[in-house]
Amino acid sequence: MRELWLIGFAYMAILELLAIPVLLLWPEIYADLQRSSLFKTIGVDFIKRIGDAVSGRDEEVAYINWCATMLLFRSCNLVTTAAAVLIGVGLFARERENNTLEFLLARPVSRSSILWQKLWPSLLVVVVPVFLVNASAVPWSWSIELDLPWWELFLGSMHAAIFGAAMLLMTTWASIALRVQAHVAAVVGAFVVFQLGVYMTQRIRPYSLFRLVDFDWYGPILCGNTPAWQMFDPIHGPGYTTYLLAACAVFYALSWRALRRATP
Amino acid sequence: MSPHAVDVRALEKRFGARHVLRALELQIAPGELLGLIGPNGAGKSTLLRTLIGLVPRSSGHVHLFGLDPATEALEIRRRASYLPGETGVYQQMRGDAFLDFALGFYPRHDDALRSELLEAFELPLNQRIRSYSAGMKQKIALVATLVPNVDLYILDEPDRALDARARFYLRDVLRGLKTKGKTILLSSHHLSEVETLADRLEFLLAGALVPHERVQAARTELRRRPRVRLRDGHPLPEGARVVREEPDGVLVLQTDGDAVRWLQGADANAVESAEIGVDRLEDLYQLLLEDDEPATRGGVA
Repeated sequence: MRELWLIGFAYMAILELLAIPVLLLWPEIYADLQRSSLFKTIGVDFIKRIGDAVSGRDEEVAYINWCATMLLFRSCNLVTTAAAVLIGVGLFARERENNTLEFLLARPVSRSSILWQKLWPSLLVVVVPVFLVNASAVPWSWSIELDLPWWELFLGSMHAAIFGAAMLLMTTWASIALRVQAHVAAVVGAFVVFQLGVYMTQRIRPYSLFRLVDFDWYGPILCGNTPAWQMFDPIHGPGYTTYLLAACAVFYALSWRALRRATP
Repeated sequence: MSPHAVDVRALEKRFGARHVLRALELQIAPGELLGLIGPNGAGKSTLLRTLIGLVPRSSGHVHLFGLDPATEALEIRRRASYLPGETGVYQQMRGDAFLDFALGFYPRHDDALRSELLEAFELPLNQRIRSYSAGMKQKIALVATLVPNVDLYILDEPDRALDARARFYLRDVLRGLKTKGKTILLSSHHLSEVETLADRLEFLLAGALVPHERVQAARTELRRRPRVRLRDGHPLPEGARVVREEPDGVLVLQTDGDAVRWLQGADANAVESAEIGVDRLEDLYQLLLEDDEPATRGGVA
């Protein structure tokens, strides 16, 4: 448990340290963006869209898009994924390696209870820093005389946190199904790298998991163009948040099934 | 309702093509202490894990206090405490925290036994378990297993990594539990120690229990096999043949008649030392395995 909290604090500190410079240096960055045509020369379509959004004439809108890019698209995706994988890899595979899984499974406690008792602290450690660090962006923004919309930032953070939870649950499933931590890390790591590769390839980008958490999704949320119901409604809106919640439910069910069948 | 604490009938367990337990029949009465003996890979740990519901059986019937581990494992684990063969303790925890955690799963504990065990084992409970020796880890795992006040104790090699003093103490503790009416099933490699403790011994060989008559015959046969060390240059006295030569030069012999008589009649200058009538587990396994087709109890080969 102590180790989990240490990872949690380190993860939150990294998120915060990544956030502070991109927030406080915004005035200089914005001025440079006004002068530079760098974004327009890059041939990658989504980077061009980001460039247009963060260098627009309305500085408040440009700043919100900048925060959507840097806080949610960049920091949360990378750091949250890394933290979720780091925590999830050892949840059960390490118990097996240390011979404590047999001890644990032989106690008079149900396997569903073991799964939940091991998962909820990990979920808290992955999810809470996303909200805390993104909330801290509001007072930091005041220091450069700009405002961030609380509600929209909360919605974006919620989506990022659910993505982190899905990554943790996927890794937990692998941690139960595979017997060795190194194998879990290799399989989950390869999956994430593959998904990033798909995302970077324009023609097949819509099929990447990271399409659910990219700038095209976070930008409109933070600018107030995607209301909450559209986040959750996959029929009349994009409903990406519902997809992630469904992924969480599926990975939780798979983890429970794998643990129910697990032998020492 | 079965009158047995443990009732196993026609139990089969396969891991893929590997047949680990074969038509196994085993009954243990309430309050009985049963010693399960067998070489590595005989299926002892698989049997114990099947009883506690950690490993699903392939076929057959298993009941503990009338409860089926396939469907009522949780209720069984409330009534049975299990010590795994591989010591599984949380290395990063302090000894006292580990015990609180492990015992917290059980509603009733024998606090007097806890105090006795901790005093006898002299465990440094304020230190992290990662600093413990292998024997100390086994001792704390034993405390976590024996202190819960349950009806059945399933112990997979409880004396593993223990020194002689701790092994003797453990024997007394198990006797004490038996006196209180607890049922105990323990597997071990120490034949003589288990024999002095157990009400009954069962030999598990290649996944099946060996019939008692066959074990008895093998042990009688073993008593006719003296272990002899000859003086340098002296030939083997007549009336015996070498069954096996051990790396330390000791010869395991098969005598034509009574081993004691053979020794009495042998040239005293030829024999440096001799040992007769000692059951060595390894010898017993070897003898039982000598048959091509083990006539295991209720077993299919």
